[in-house]
Amino acid sequence: MSGSTIFSRSLAAALLAAALCAAPEFALAQKRGGTLVQITQPEPPTLASYLSTSGPIGQVTAKIYDGLLEYGFDMKPQPCLAESWSVAPDGKTVSFKLRRGVKFHDGKPFTSADVQFTIMEVLKKVHPRGIGTFKEVTAVETPDAQTAIFRLANAAPYMMAALSGYESPMIPKHIYGTGDIRSHESANKPVGTGPFKFVEWRRGELVRLDRNPDYWRSGQPYLDRIVVRFIADSATRSALLEKGEAHVAGFGAVPYNDVKRLAALPGLEVTTKGYEMISPVVEITINTKRPPFDNVKVRQAVSYAVNRQFAIDSIWFGYGRLATGAISSNFKASGLYSADVRNYSVPNAVEMANKLLDEAGFPRKADGTRFEIVHDITPYGEEWQRFGEAVQQQLAQVGIKATLRYEDVATWLKRTYTDYDFFLTSNFLYNLADPVLGVHRSFHSALIKQGTVFVNGSRWSSPQTDELMNKAALEPDTAKRGAYYAELQKLTAEAAPIIWVHELLFPTILNKRYKDVIVSPLGIYGAYNRAWLDR
Amino acid sequence: MQQPFWRRFVRNRPAAFGLAFLAFVVVLALGAPLLFPGDPFRIVDMTFLPPFGAYLFGTDSLGRDIAAGIAHGGRTSLMVGLVASIVAVSIGTLLGAVAGFYRGWIDDALMRFTEFFQTIPTFLFAIVLVAIMSPSRGSIIVAIAVISWPPIARLVRGEFMAMREREFVQAAICLGMTDLAIIFRQILPNVLSPIIVAGSLMVATAILIEAALAFLGLGDSNAMSWGFMIGAGRSFLRDAWWLCAIPGIAILLTVLSINLVGEGVNDALNPRLRTL
Repeated sequence: MSGSTIFSRSLAAALLAAALCAAPEFALAQKRGGTLVQITQPEPPTLASYLSTSGPIGQVTAKIYDGLLEYGFDMKPQPCLAESWSVAPDGKTVSFKLRRGVKFHDGKPFTSADVQFTIMEVLKKVHPRGIGTFKEVTAVETPDAQTAIFRLANAAPYMMAALSGYESPMIPKHIYGTGDIRSHESANKPVGTGPFKFVEWRRGELVRLDRNPDYWRSGQPYLDRIVVRFIADSATRSALLEKGEAHVAGFGAVPYNDVKRLAALPGLEVTTKGYEMISPVVEITINTKRPPFDNVKVRQAVSYAVNRQFAIDSIWFGYGRLATGAISSNFKASGLYSADVRNYSVPNAVEMANKLLDEAGFPRKADGTRFEIVHDITPYGEEWQRFGEAVQQQLAQVGIKATLRYEDVATWLKRTYTDYDFFLTSNFLYNLADPVLGVHRSFHSALIKQGTVFVNGSRWSSPQTDELMNKAALEPDTAKRGAYYAELQKLTAEAAPIIWVHELLFPTILNKRYKDVIVSPLGIYGAYNRAWLDR
Repeated sequence: MQQPFWRRFVRNRPAAFGLAFLAFVVVLALGAPLLFPGDPFRIVDMTFLPPFGAYLFGTDSLGRDIAAGIAHGGRTSLMVGLVASIVAVSIGTLLGAVAGFYRGWIDDALMRFTEFFQTIPTFLFAIVLVAIMSPSRGSIIVAIAVISWPPIARLVRGEFMAMREREFVQAAICLGMTDLAIIFRQILPNVLSPIIVAGSLMVATAILIEAALAFLGLGDSNAMSWGFMIGAGRSFLRDAWWLCAIPGIAILLTVLSINLVGEGVNDALNPRLRTL
C-alpha cells in the first residue's frame, strides 16, 4: 500500500466527516443509551392497537409497530416501511414500494404479504376507524415481496393520512394470521418492526420495551429502553416528573393547574406540539330535534352565550385555542381549514344572544328567565364539571335556566347517543388526521346511528352538507377539497348544531435531558426512534 | 329536687357552646338569601382571590364568592341532614316498634329485613343509590335515609321489648287498649329520649355523608354545598388552600356542635345523671 493512497483515503475520510458534521441532523451528536420513563394515563386495556383505538394503547404500541408512512409537522406523508409510493391520477390505485431487509422482532422478514394481511384481514375488518379508512379498498395486490398495490373502488385521499404506526400498525401475518384476531393469544405480546421490542407488561405497574438492535434504521434507536408507567394518582404523576423519575407525560396525565408549576422548573419543559394529527376539540352538542333547540336562532343564541375565552383561561388554564367551526385550525397547513364563518366570539355576544332569543319568540318572563333546560356534562373529569358550571352561569345571563346533570360514562353515552334524551351536553371529539375520519361523523346523515357512540348525536343534517362531504371524501385535489370544506364550515357554523368551544391543546411535559422525543404531529403516539438522552 | 331540662342542658358548657354555634349556622343558612342575594354559583370576580380581601373568604377556581357558598351551602347541608334524619328515624322507629311489640314471626321477618340493609357497607350503598337515581337533593336524602334507619330500628326494638313486659303495659293490655294506642301512647313516650339522642347524632352523620357524596361528585350539581366546595377545590390545594380549608372548617365545627348538643341532650335526659 503506497503512502499516497493512505493520504488520499484519510483526506476523503476527513472530507466525509466534515460534510457529515455540516449536515443539520448531525449538528447535535446523538448519544446512545439511557432509559426513558413515560407516564401513560390510564393503563391501556390491551396492547392490540389493530383492534382497539382506546387512547392509551397507542402511546405504548407506536414504539413497537411501524406503519407504512410517517408524517411531518406539515402533515405530509414521509417514508417509513414504504420507501416510496405513487397514487394514480384517478386516485383508485395506490402502489407502495416496501423497504428491503426489514425484519420483525422475531427475525422473520416483513413483506407485502404482511401488508395485504394487515389491511384486508385486520384493519378493514376489526379496527374501529380502519373500517372507515379502508372502506374503499377492494384488494391489496402483491406482485412481489416488496410491492403492495391498493385497489380502491373510489378515490380515498384521507387514507394517505391514516397509515402511521399508531393508526394503522403493520402486524406480522405469520403470528396473527392464525387464530381469532379478535382475541388473539399474542394480542398482549406485540411483535412489530419498530424501534423497540416488547419485553413485559406488569399489570397495574408498567410496560417495558427494550431497544431493537436490528431496527431497519441503522444506528437507531438511541435509547436502550422505554418504561411506560401507570400511576393512578395525579399528584404522584406530577411528583415523579418533578423529581426526574419520569420523563414524559401527555394527554392530560398532569392536571392543567399543575402544568404551570412544572413548566417553571428548570429541568422540565412543556410543549403543546405533537397533537396536530389528533386535534381534540371541546364542544357542546345540541339536540337539534328537541324544542326549543330545533329553532336555529336558539342554537345560535346559545352559541353566542358560551364564553369560549373564559373556558380557555379559567378552566383549561390557557391550554386551548379558540375554535371557529367544525374543522380544527390544525388543518390550515393542508388547506382544509377556513375561518370565514359566523363568528360567535364577539364582544357583544351576550347582547346578540338576547336579541336572537327575543326574535325566536322566547321573551323573558317576570323572573328574568326565558325557558328551562338540563345541561348534561360529559363525565370525563373535573374540568368538565367546572366547564358545566361556567356554561350554566353564562346561559343564566341570557335568561336560560340550566340545571346540571352529571352521570357515569355508560349512562351518559346511552342518554346522548341512544336515547337522545338531552338538550345540551359538553363533549370532546378528535378531528384526527383528516376531516373524513374525524369531522364527517358529527354531521353526516348516514352517521345518525342510534346506539353508535361519538357520531352524529345532534341529529342535524342537510342534503347540501351531505353532498359537500360526499364530494370532499372522494376529491383528490386539495384545492377543491378545501373549497368544499370551506362551504361546509360556513353552513355548519350557521346552523350551529354544535358549539365549538376550543381546540384543546394537551400539554406534554418533558424532561429537558431527553431530546427529540416529540418529533411528529403524532407526538406521544410516535415511535421515539430518534429520541436520545443527553448525559 | 329535679331541675328543668333546659337548666340541666345549659349547665353543660360544651353543649351550650354547641347549641350557640349551631344557632349561628342556622341563622346564617336561613339568612343566606338576604346576606348574599342571588345565585351562589354566580361568577363575581377574578379566580383565586385570597380570603380577607375584597371578599371575606376570597373566590374559587371559577371566580365565585366563597362566603356566599358557605352561607348557601349551609342551607343544603342542614336541610339534607335534618330531613334525611327525620325520615330515617321515622322508618326506624316504626319498624322497631312493630318488631319489638309483636315479636314472634313479625319480629323475625322485620329483623332479617333490617339485617339485609346492615350487611351492605353503608357508604358504598349510598353511592350506588345516588348513582342509580342520578344525583339530586331528593335522591341524596333518600339514600342517606335508607342507609341510616337500621340502627334506629334495632335500638327501638330493644327498648320496646323491655317495655313490653312492664306492668303498665300489661295493665293497658288488660284494660283492652288497642295495640296502636299502646305502642304510640304508652310505650313510645317512654323510649323517646334514646331516640332523640340517636336522631340528633344522626344529623351530624348525615351532613358528613352528604359532604362525602358531593366531594365524590355525586352531589346535586345545582345546589351549593360544603362537600361540593371541597370537592371542587381539592385539585387546587397547592395553589389555593382556602378553597378546601374554609368549607372544611365549616363542616368540622357544625358536626362538632351537633355532637355536643346531642350529648348534652343525652346527659340532660338520662335519669341516672340527673342529680349530678
